[in-house]
This record gives sequence, structure tokens and C-alpha cells, in this order.
Amino acid sequence: MRISLNKIKSYVKIPDGVSDQELIERIGSRLVEVEEVIDWSPMYQGVYIAKVISCESIPETHLHLCQIDAGAAREDLKGDNGLIQVVCGAPNVHAGMLAVWIAPGSIVPETYGNENFKLSVRKLRGYESYGMLAGADELGFDNEHKSIAEIDPKMAEPGDSFAEVFDLNDLILDVENKSLTHRPDCFGLIGFAREVAGILGEKFIEPEVFQNLDAKIESSRTAEVKVKITDGKLCPRYSCVIFDLPDNQPSKYLTLDAVFLAKAGMRSIDPMVDLTNILMLETGQPLHAFDYDKLVAVGGTDRPEIVVRSAKAGEELQLLDGKVVQCTADDILITSNNVPVAMAGAMGGKNTEIDPSTKRVVLESATFSLYNLRKTQMSHGIFSEAITRFTKGQPAAMTMPVLAEAVKRLGVEVAAVADDYPGKEKESVVKITTDEINGLLGTEYGVEEIVNTLENVGFEVEPSGAAPSEGIRTHEEEERVSPATAGADDAPLRRSCTDGAVLKVTSPAWRTDIHIKEDIIEEVGRLLGYDNIELSLPEKPFIEPEIDPMVKLKQELRRILSERLEMHELLTYSFVSRDLVSKVGKNPDDCYEIVNSISPELQCFRSEIVPSLLDKVRENLKAGHRDFTLYELNQVTRKSGGLNCEQVPEMKTHLGIVSLGDFYQLKAEILAMFRELKIAVEYRALSAESAEAHPYLEPKRSAELLIDDVVVGSFGEVKTSVLRKFKLEPTVSTLELNLEKVVGAPREVKTDVKISKFPSVERDLTLRVAGDMPFGRALNAIDNYLSKSGMYYAVEPVSIYQPEGSETKNLSFHIKFSDPTRTLNSDEISAIMKNIAVEVAGIGAEIV
Amino acid sequence: MSDVEKLKLELKELNSEYAKIKTLPPAERGEFGRTMNAKKQAIMAQIAAAESEAESANVEALDISAPSAPNEPLPVVKRGTIHPLMAELDRVIEVYSSMGFDVVESRQLDDEYHMFESLNFPPEHPARDGYDTFRTAEGFIPPAHTSTMQHRALKKYKHKLDEGGEIAVAVPGRVFRNEDVDATHEHTFYQCEGVFVSKTATMGQMFGVLKHFFEIYYGQKLKIKTQPGYFPFTEPSAELLIEKPASLGGKGGDWLEMLGCGMIHPNVLKMAGIDPEIYHGFAWGGGIDRLAMLKYGLSDVRYFESGKLDFLEEF
Repeated sequence: MRISLNKIKSYVKIPDGVSDQELIERIGSRLVEVEEVIDWSPMYQGVYIAKVISCESIPETHLHLCQIDAGAAREDLKGDNGLIQVVCGAPNVHAGMLAVWIAPGSIVPETYGNENFKLSVRKLRGYESYGMLAGADELGFDNEHKSIAEIDPKMAEPGDSFAEVFDLNDLILDVENKSLTHRPDCFGLIGFAREVAGILGEKFIEPEVFQNLDAKIESSRTAEVKVKITDGKLCPRYSCVIFDLPDNQPSKYLTLDAVFLAKAGMRSIDPMVDLTNILMLETGQPLHAFDYDKLVAVGGTDRPEIVVRSAKAGEELQLLDGKVVQCTADDILITSNNVPVAMAGAMGGKNTEIDPSTKRVVLESATFSLYNLRKTQMSHGIFSEAITRFTKGQPAAMTMPVLAEAVKRLGVEVAAVADDYPGKEKESVVKITTDEINGLLGTEYGVEEIVNTLENVGFEVEPSGAAPSEGIRTHEEEERVSPATAGADDAPLRRSCTDGAVLKVTSPAWRTDIHIKEDIIEEVGRLLGYDNIELSLPEKPFIEPEIDPMVKLKQELRRILSERLEMHELLTYSFVSRDLVSKVGKNPDDCYEIVNSISPELQCFRSEIVPSLLDKVRENLKAGHRDFTLYELNQVTRKSGGLNCEQVPEMKTHLGIVSLGDFYQLKAEILAMFRELKIAVEYRALSAESAEAHPYLEPKRSAELLIDDVVVGSFGEVKTSVLRKFKLEPTVSTLELNLEKVVGAPREVKTDVKISKFPSVERDLTLRVAGDMPFGRALNAIDNYLSKSGMYYAVEPVSIYQPEGSETKNLSFHIKFSDPTRTLNSDEISAIMKNIAVEVAGIGAEIV
Repeated sequence: MSDVEKLKLELKELNSEYAKIKTLPPAERGEFGRTMNAKKQAIMAQIAAAESEAESANVEALDISAPSAPNEPLPVVKRGTIHPLMAELDRVIEVYSSMGFDVVESRQLDDEYHMFESLNFPPEHPARDGYDTFRTAEGFIPPAHTSTMQHRALKKYKHKLDEGGEIAVAVPGRVFRNEDVDATHEHTFYQCEGVFVSKTATMGQMFGVLKHFFEIYYGQKLKIKTQPGYFPFTEPSAELLIEKPASLGGKGGDWLEMLGCGMIHPNVLKMAGIDPEIYHGFAWGGGIDRLAMLKYGLSDVRYFESGKLDFLEEF
């Protein structure tokens, strides 16, 4: 929203000594985030009012050679006749008119801040032209390029600064609407100004329109109008007046109104529409003008019979912008005898549009359900200035006062008035103690300071004696605060720090956001400045905090995987394409699907990490990386995983690893990882369930991991057919590990450290075994004997050698053992080696 | 004969001469011993120096700027990387836990109730629009803020209030917004939420805690300021700014918007079964991506989820 600082200053006297800079900073810290401050004054430097003294056509062109009187401006450019020569192509240029002259060396305002088009003295058809006579578009007030702006001679003299005449030495604040979502009053400049007064500590002097909210509009009763609201929830109030419009021709002059609208980013249309827009900008209350005759004709009645009702789904209406909309049942319609004439709050209908020939007007001032209008906004994509305001919840109290102001400004005689007001709200009264205010803010504001602060912005505050001994919440407040679970009635007042007065705070009718104590506390804290609150730290006993074990496990894994095992941690999106899910052979229908996804690439909530990582391998290979291992720690879910006790999907944190190594490389790394975690893990051939869960794994080259006999994940080499879909070459290995089953696993701390005091014996041992004998079986055989021997020992695999075509293979081990009680002699060592030979002979192995 | 050999011979002669000590009268032995020892030490020092010189003469000097010796394979030192965003998240968690905050992780798929209703957003309220939420066909929501965990955190630790303590919890997590992605907007990003409830919580404490957090995080004293904010789940609400720290190249006068914060709305406390007449609290939430971007001077948020090793290797 754009706010003219000059306009704000017209409502609030800014204390001497408060610079614009300070004022804007204070607005930013106590009212609303100021996103940008646009200084308009440099835009209009070198732009003057000038009188066209003579204007002659240049033969065979559409151009005119003009001599202009620019008063005391730019004496240096005057010719001998005291005038300045300008060539102008506009059809409406004529001698005697006051125009806007942009002097050479100045930037055309329309281009200011963009291409910054600077005018010079240049020759047109052989005539020197000093600068240009500007149109409203070139001045930045209109889109249409048709004519030059003409200035009302009552407003200015030649040589006057254009910026001064049209109030353009102004700062425009672009403020962030979001932080004012709950403040419909601030969507009017008067409401904004009220807050500015408040943050300056000044009492706001209400303009007339806000002074008398019960204002009645006098009517001659020469016409009749009927208004019927079918549901007060949809439309709490609908007011309208009927009057004859003497003349709705757009002014031939550039008006102050047009400039004022331009500052807010709006365009001048015609006097009637301009007035409705100006009043909306000032008060926050949108108005809509219907052409009376069209309205009556559409309804087929002899007088306006306005019915406000829900739309029927599919009902059609052509809007002012020409678009035909299909209504939904959530839309609210203004109808003339049930024929739609406007989509309430959003846009008027084409069938009742006012135009320069409009004679009689029905002027509407109403409020509608912000919930319905929000749906209208969303389903039809209408983001007009009016609906932006209505969706904040404009107060019903303001419809009539703003209508009265419109009538006053138009100076018309009202022929009929109607005001249906089924949704009148109760006055909002909050009882609060100063202790409660100071207690929540952590301040020590006195009663007077608090009362003044609230009264400055229109609250009525009735202070009374000392606070009672218990916290107070009025009945209305109790209703506002949703279902109480704890009995608050006997709650003690929590703290006291100041003089503890009870305040009865009545909100002004336009503050529809004030319901509970905290709303009042916010007003006091904000208006007096949060930055003035003294900082402190809570006192807290020294207790070890509790860290989510999964958070800890992930931190631990990051250190192991990245720092020890040299892997790279990636983050990839939780949303994946159906295509990606299908590529790895899984069913995309088991994924939760995002219905409003940004693109099909981001449609499914992923159920595994590995596919996302596989998807990142190729581009990293293309970028020149080799032999890398990627991993990610993140949450996954799937429909078949069901819902938890809260009825939300069961989420699981997984570790996914994708390695360019083979099965054995990844196995070694996984085992190293578990060794670091001190978690006992086992692995075995992929079960049918695991193979189904990870259909991309080649079952003959994969295994599943178990902790305490429970499968926790699967790893292995990816099928070549799957790799082909990712444009990858073998070999790629992956792990998908469910950390939910790892996080609670017992950590085994070695309690029996086996180091013998006596020298250990080291021997190398090579077994010749059948080519298809599993390595584990041979290892187990050696282990079997040694574990029974009572010795301390270690068996390390050294190599596996199988010559091509051979039916046997050689398995080499390095064995180290020692006796815990004595030094072994050579006979004993030979005996041990012999026993090992016997043991392995049992499985058909032969020592080489 | 080399110098060393000559010296060694000299030493040998000296040793045999030393043997004469036994033949000397006892009174002369001391003097004789000292003299001989000094000579012996001097020769040994010369030998050591000569040996060291000889050793050095045989050593081939290498090119310290080269990655390997000629004809040798290049040494391989592989390195892994922790994602910078996760490193930052872990750092944030570390700071909060050092301040005594419990840590609970946020969930990545949630429902309307936790995302909005339990946070005092009336049904269909336009304030919901500001969150640009994604939805699943079942109506679940990948949460748009870590506040989605506020209700759960309050319920989980309510017992601490009953036991006379306070609730202090930080909630890191991944959040999602249906936004067009550009250099400063991601549809997927990380936040960390903070919640504090006690009998005596004040807004002054809230600003105090937040200032303290950023001072530990940046390792320096900082200035803070606020601007008003609106969140249905806090009242009063504010946005916190810090003066750009020197470690980020701040020269004073530059302000960074860090997070939204406020005093927990009584309805939010009530819905979690906490009596707002007795207990008060504050809560806040801020982006982690931004912290990491500021720290590393990154101008494009899209790198984080790009999966590019080129990016990771910068850290």
C-alpha cells in the first residue's frame, strides 16, 4: 500500500524537530514495515506551469510551433520576445492554455527511475524545441497518450513549479500490507494518520467523517429505494443513497484529485468514480456507484430493489472489466430485483456501469463477510483496491458516515436513503489493569501514560481505583477466548509493579480487531515503542536440556559420514515427480500427492531418499566429479505407512546413501558407520519384503541390515535397467536406512577389553576352498576354533584370489592370537595352527 | 680418510690416553679427568656436526610447491562435506541448547489443526493466505512454518509448568511455501522456532533472550530493534531486526530482519491446556537459510537444494 506522507501531515501536525527521516523510522518501528520510501520531488524538477502564447501549425505535419510564457522560470532559454519556443504534437495544444512544460535538461517524470529520459534542445522539422509540453502520461498520472495536460488557470500562474502546485514534493511510503492484516482501519489514510499521531504521542484530531458515526443523511424523499439483506453474516450492513448527478464529464484540466489518486497508484476515471476512490483511500471504506436507470432497467422494476444474497453456483455476471465470471456459492451478489448487478466487494457489473452520460446514481456503501470475499478473491483472482480492504474486515459502523461525506463533497441533494444493518456489533469493552499491561510487556508505564496513549488513537479509557485481587476478563472476552480448559476465574493476578489501576477500555467502532486484554497490551506496547522496553533474561534453573534423540543422531551421522567416511551431504526436495518414483519401480500412488504443486516435478511427497540422490548423480558426473558418495538425512512418508495417533501421516527420518562404489565398498562403509555408532548390526541376503520395498536393488547383489533381528534398511547395487533410466553406468550402490529403528538401538560400550600382557603370535593363513563357498563360512570356521580356545585373537581377511576358470579360490587371512596367561612356545603355536587346519577341513577347506 | 673418520680416530686415541688416569697419583686424577673430558666433548661435538652435514649432503631437496615427487602418483586426500545449511542448523541448535532450550524436531507433513487452528487462525481467515501452503489430496499440509509444532511442544512440556518450572523449547525443521522460486525465494527451506512459557514471561524477556541468542551466535555484542508484525498466534507481535554484525561486514546502521516474534496468544495457550491467566509465554521463528546466506555471502538461495557438489565443495 502506498501512503503519501504529505497527506498524513494534512491530518496530523508533526511536532517541530521531528524530521521526515525520523518520522519514517518511527512508522517503521511502531506501525508498519516501510518497504520503500519514494521521494517524488526530484521527479518533477525542472517542470513548470507555462502559458501557451502562440500556437502555429507547422505545414505538412501534425506539429505546432508554440511560444510559451514560463514566467520567471529558465530565463536563460527565453528568446528576444521573452518567450520560449517549443514544438508540440498534441492535438489539444492551443494559444491561451496553461500547460505543463518540462524544461530541457530535465527528466521526463514517467521515465524517472527507469530509463531516465532527459530532454534536450533539439530540432524538429527545422525548428528548435526547448523541452516539451507534457501529457498526463508523461507526468506519470495516466496510461493513455492522447493529449497534453491542461491546467486550470485558477490554480496556477506561468512559471510556477508544477510540483508545488500539485503537491508533488512528497514522500510516498510503500508499506507492507501483511503486518496490517488485522487492521482494516489502517487501510485508510485517516486511520493511518491516527496511528502516526499515536506513535508521536499526539492526540489525533478526528476529521468530521469519523466524528459523528451516527450521522443521518437528509433526503428529499423524491425517490424510493428498497434494500434487503438475506443474511446478516454475509453482509452486516448495506447503505445507499440516490441522487442526480449534475455532470459526470471528466474535467478537461489535470486535477489535484488525479494526482492524489496517482500517488496511491490509481488512475482518474471520471468525477464520480474518482470520488468513490478518494473516499476509499481516505477512510478505508470502498464505495460503488451504479447507474440508477440501468439498475432499474435490469431489475425490471420501477424503483431500485436491491437484494444482497449468496450467488448460485454457475450464475453468470459480466464485470466492469468485461470479463464474464461464473459465480461460486461463496460469492456474494448485489442484485437488482434478483438480477446480479455486482459481485459484492470485488467488482461492479458491466450492466449498471456509470458513464459520462449517467444522470442518476445509486451510491453503495456496505460491508461484507471477509471470509466469503477471500474466497471470491481466490476463485476469481480479483485483487482490486476495494477487495483488499474488504478482506481485512471493514467496520460496518463506517458505511453511513462515509456515504454522508460523499454526499457532502458532491454537494448534491439526496433523493432517497436506505440503510439495512442486521449485523450490528456490540461495543468492544475490555477491562484491564495497568499491572497486567506492564506485567506482560516487562515495563513500568504509569496510568496516565497508558491512558493518554490509548486515548490519542480514539480509545475511551475510564480509569478506576486499585485493582481487585484477581485477574479480570469480561464476559465478552471469555466468549472470544476459545474453549477454556483450565478454570481461570480464581486465577491470581500474576505480578504487580506499578500503581495497579483498573482501566475500562472502550474501542472506537472502527477498531474491529480489539477483543481481549492482549490486544490492548499490544496497543500500549507498540505505540510507546517496543524498542523502549528494557531487556531482561528469564531466570531459569540450571537443568540439562533435552535434545530430540533424532537430532542428535543426525548430528553424529554427519560427523561420521562426512568427516570420517568422506561422503557429501546433499539436501534435495521433499517433493519429487511421479516419474522419479516410477523410475525406481515404486508405486507413485503410495505417495501423498500435492494438489497445488508448483510443477509436476514437485508433485509427490517422497517415500525414500535414494531416488532423489540417484537423480543428482549424473549432473555431478558431468560436472567432473568422480568416485563420490552422496547422502541425505531427511523425512519421508507414504500413504501405506498409515497415520499416527494424531491422525497425521507417520513420518520417518531416513538416511539415504548413493555411492559410485560397488557393494563391498558400501558394505565396508556401512559397517564402519555402525562401528562408530557402537551399534551392533547384522546383514543377510535381501528378503522378499525388502526386495519389494527397494525394487531398484539387484537382489543378487544386495543385503538387508538388521538390528536386534529387525530389518532397518537395505543396501546393494542398483539394477542396470534402473541405472539406464538415470543415464548412469554400473556400478552404483545405495543404502536406504530407517533411522527411527536406529535412534533407540542400544549402544554397546566394550566392557571386556582383551589385551594380553604376553606377546601375541601373528600368522598368515591361506585356505583353498570351492569357488562357490561363501567367504563368511570359511571365516566362521577359523573363528569357531579360536573362540573356543580361550585366547585373545583377531582374524583379518587379506585377499580373495580366484584365477579365471578355476573351480577353487584362495582365501587369505591374517591371524593374531595370544594367551592371556603366558607366552606361547613354538609347539603350542603349531598345535593351534593344526587345530585350525582340522576345523577348516571340516568345511572342505585345505590350508595352502 | 674423511673428516669424521679422522675425528673418530682422534677420539679413540683420546680414550686410550684417558686410560692412563689409573697410573696417575690420586691428587692429579681430578684435573686430568676434567681436561680429558673437555677434549672428548669438543671432539664429539665436531663429530656430530660433521655427521649432520654429511647426512644433509646426501639428502635430495624436494619441490615443496609440487603435489608429488616426479614420477610418483599424486597423493589422494578425499574429503567429505557437511551441508552448510545443516551445519548452520546444528549451530543454531547448539546455541539454543546451551541456553537451556530443549530441542524437538518439526514434522514435514502436518494437518490444518496444527498448522492453523491450534495457532488461533480462524477457519478460512485471510491471514492463512499469507502462508501460501501446499496441500495433499487428503488435506494434509507440508507445514509453512515450524510454528506447526507449537501446540505439540506446549502439550509435551506442560508438565514442566505443573512441576513449577518453565517451557523452553527450540524446534528446527524443514518448511514449505508455494512460492515461485528465485534467487531469494525457495519453496523448501529451514526454520527454527522458539517457545518459552513461565509465570513471569515478559516481552522484555523475549527481546532479551533473542538478543542473547544472536550475540552468542555471532560471538559479539549486537544492537536490536523491532517493527510491528501481525501473527494470529501472538499478541503483541513484532519483527526483530539486528544491526548487521561486523563479522558479516556490517559497518553500523544496516539492519537485518531476522525473525517474527510475539507473546503467545492466550487462545494458543488455552488450546494446549495451559491457563493463560497464570502462564505467559513468547514464541518466535526465523529462517536458517538466511543465516547461512548471510554467513557465506551467498546471493542465491537455490544453491542449497541444488545437489551440486561444486557448491558443497566451496565449504
